[in-house]
Amino acid sequence: MLETLTHLAGGFADVLQPVNLLVLAIGLVLGLLVAVLPGLTLVMGVVLALPFTYRMELTPAIILLTAMYVSGTYGGAFTSILFRIPGEPIDVPLLWDGYAMARAGAPAKALGWTLFGALGGGLVAALVLVLLSEPVARLALTFSAPEFLAIILFGLTSVVSLGGGSVTNALISLFIGLLIATVGTDETYGAERFAFGVRMLSDGIEYLLVMVGAYGLGEVFTRLEQGFRTQTAGAGKGAPIRTELPRLKELLATKATFIRSSLIGILVGIIPGAGATIASFVSYGAEGQYGRRRKELGSGIPEGILAPQTAATASVGGALIPLLTMGIPGSGATAIILAAFLLKGVQPGPQVFVSSGDTVYAIFASLFVAVLGMCLLGYFAIKLLVRVLAFPEAVVSAFVVMFCFVGAFAARNNLTDLYVITAFGVIGYLFERFRFPIAPMVLGSILGPLAENAFMTTMISHDNDWTVLFTRPVAGVVMALAIVALAYPALRRWRTR
Amino acid sequence: MVKRLMVAVLALAAAASAWAQEKFPTRPIEFIVPWGPGGGADQVARKVGSLLEADLKVSFPVLNVPGASGNTGMAKLLAGANDGHAMSIFIADTYAQIATASPRWKPGDYVPLAIMIRQPSGFFVRSDGPYKTWNDLVKAAKANPGKLKVGVTGFGTLDDMTVNYFASKGIRMASVPYAKPGERYAAVLGGHADVLYEQAGDVRAMIDGGKLKPVIFFHTDRIYDVFPDVPASKELGFDIYLPQFRSIIVRAGTDPKRVKVLADAIEKAAKDPEYYAYLKQQWALRDSFIPGKDAQKFMDGELAAMKKVAALLPKK
Repeated sequence: MLETLTHLAGGFADVLQPVNLLVLAIGLVLGLLVAVLPGLTLVMGVVLALPFTYRMELTPAIILLTAMYVSGTYGGAFTSILFRIPGEPIDVPLLWDGYAMARAGAPAKALGWTLFGALGGGLVAALVLVLLSEPVARLALTFSAPEFLAIILFGLTSVVSLGGGSVTNALISLFIGLLIATVGTDETYGAERFAFGVRMLSDGIEYLLVMVGAYGLGEVFTRLEQGFRTQTAGAGKGAPIRTELPRLKELLATKATFIRSSLIGILVGIIPGAGATIASFVSYGAEGQYGRRRKELGSGIPEGILAPQTAATASVGGALIPLLTMGIPGSGATAIILAAFLLKGVQPGPQVFVSSGDTVYAIFASLFVAVLGMCLLGYFAIKLLVRVLAFPEAVVSAFVVMFCFVGAFAARNNLTDLYVITAFGVIGYLFERFRFPIAPMVLGSILGPLAENAFMTTMISHDNDWTVLFTRPVAGVVMALAIVALAYPALRRWRTR
Repeated sequence: MVKRLMVAVLALAAAASAWAQEKFPTRPIEFIVPWGPGGGADQVARKVGSLLEADLKVSFPVLNVPGASGNTGMAKLLAGANDGHAMSIFIADTYAQIATASPRWKPGDYVPLAIMIRQPSGFFVRSDGPYKTWNDLVKAAKANPGKLKVGVTGFGTLDDMTVNYFASKGIRMASVPYAKPGERYAAVLGGHADVLYEQAGDVRAMIDGGKLKPVIFFHTDRIYDVFPDVPASKELGFDIYLPQFRSIIVRAGTDPKRVKVLADAIEKAAKDPEYYAYLKQQWALRDSFIPGKDAQKFMDGELAAMKKVAALLPKK
């Protein structure tokens, strides 16, 4: 314990060196930018930054990428809350309560809550990473495909916890999303589905295109119809938009949410293959089931903002645990960080604590510094970003369209993807026009492929026995939670009758 | 007059193009990686690309075009111009599709510049698990045919072909596909799968850390310098190898002079101590590199072996 702290102190000394600190700051800014731009996901951003690390030393290279990863889970909150445009898939749950709170005249408060969530979640996860990585990594290994599938199913049920809206419509929208996710070549047997012999469709429809199209472009189309006369969040009410931190009393009232979300974030983060996105959705779903104010969820309450943001940032520390202790990447971004290690000839794993211990503790320390720096940056960046709200809407929308297209193209370098996002822009607009929820469709297209893969692996490795989902302890508990989440609204209606 | 003018123009054009060839390359060369960032194919491209940049003085931006076992990236290469400004990583898993599926491309569509890295694959088990040696596995597989689970990348891949080869020899195990490497390794470490099919270098952290151990390598000889005690398939009487290889290709029809410029630079890069250190770290064969002129012959030999094993696959 004392030894760990001594090493950590050494790590802080490393991070506070000018070069490393500069690299860290650059990483934070890049991460925020990437997260803010719809379409350009944080994983893409980390990939684009990778070549710049070729000529760097190992420690600054990893600090750069880790800092980007951390702030990438936070930056998208700005656009989601102010403009209803999710910069990252992880920000979709923020649209529900975050945007609602902003619409109700408190955008500053909503941003303050995300700041607190990112700060708290990030720090708790960093602590767990430093102190408990060994036992936590062992815990992660007890999870397999059935547990993964159960967690994703639970994440999918978060749609029904959206208060106010029609559960039927939410489910219809969700299944449309899942249907979209099945288009293309099936990953297990290579069968083509719903491709109709079209090359473009046989490659499948990326969730990114659905999300960027339906939200980013869809929102622009909606505003176009209104002649660009809608007021952006809060601007019309003359409310000054700056980050307004929640009061201590309010913070204490949400401690249950905070602890729950941090744990969910770390746990989902360590599971190989699941990252910030699933953490964010699952945490929101858990809030809808067990939160004290679950009935008000979706109407713009702090818990609904805190839950996804805390879990998303906490997942970063979680995902680094299997990477550093076993050499197994826990998420998309950590796979790139692994590559950066390997390109320097260093293999993360149990022995890296001995062979490159300095670097490991510098990474640990950089995580703390990055979380603090990111929140400081966020606090000031918001003042700048908010000026954008003062620009004519048509101008802002033009930039949104540009970034949507650039991001969609960057993902696969495929021109046809641009037609696809345009199509989803129209679909998003129509959904909005006819008061049909978009979020479940996006959720379905994000989680659908993951659910399918986990399902296939479960079936193949357990002789097509679906009962393992219920007989394995962890999977069984999570499945029970998911079923309760689905059945709860129906039960409630039955009881009130 | 007109005729003479045309001749002059043609001569000028020829001179211009000759000049252009001398100056090749003058602009960045796209380096297509038909797999996601961070994986083995991506690492080779980034390693070689950074060495080529220093030599040819143009940048080699890596372009990840993942999808359909490398077919999406291949389509991207073949759809581009054949002027030498795009090259691609091409790996055994994609190549194997000629033997197992019917891809939209054929060997004549591209020219190999070099084989960059070759790694024998093997079966790995977790160190604290019930099976310690190849014989343990064989015994368990014969006692309970089809019960042992092998973590593989997918059906119809080299991994799956190897599992099927052993099934045809009476050692029946079941392939379980895990799409992402992280999931696959965690499945074996956590005891959710019994065996892992992999190249040793890709799981080096887990081997060095004492979590995983190899029980057999699919190779002609033992890998004496690193794993002297692990048997090779050949000595056990199994005629199965299917090594992972990663090569660099350009579109067919590229000016041979330009092919030579690139191939020579790649050969130089492969001799760089930095590249050698990379091969060593990956536990790749030390003589991994095969220059362009011999690469096609090597690939033809691999294809013949793949076709032989693919014939044992269950028909869809």
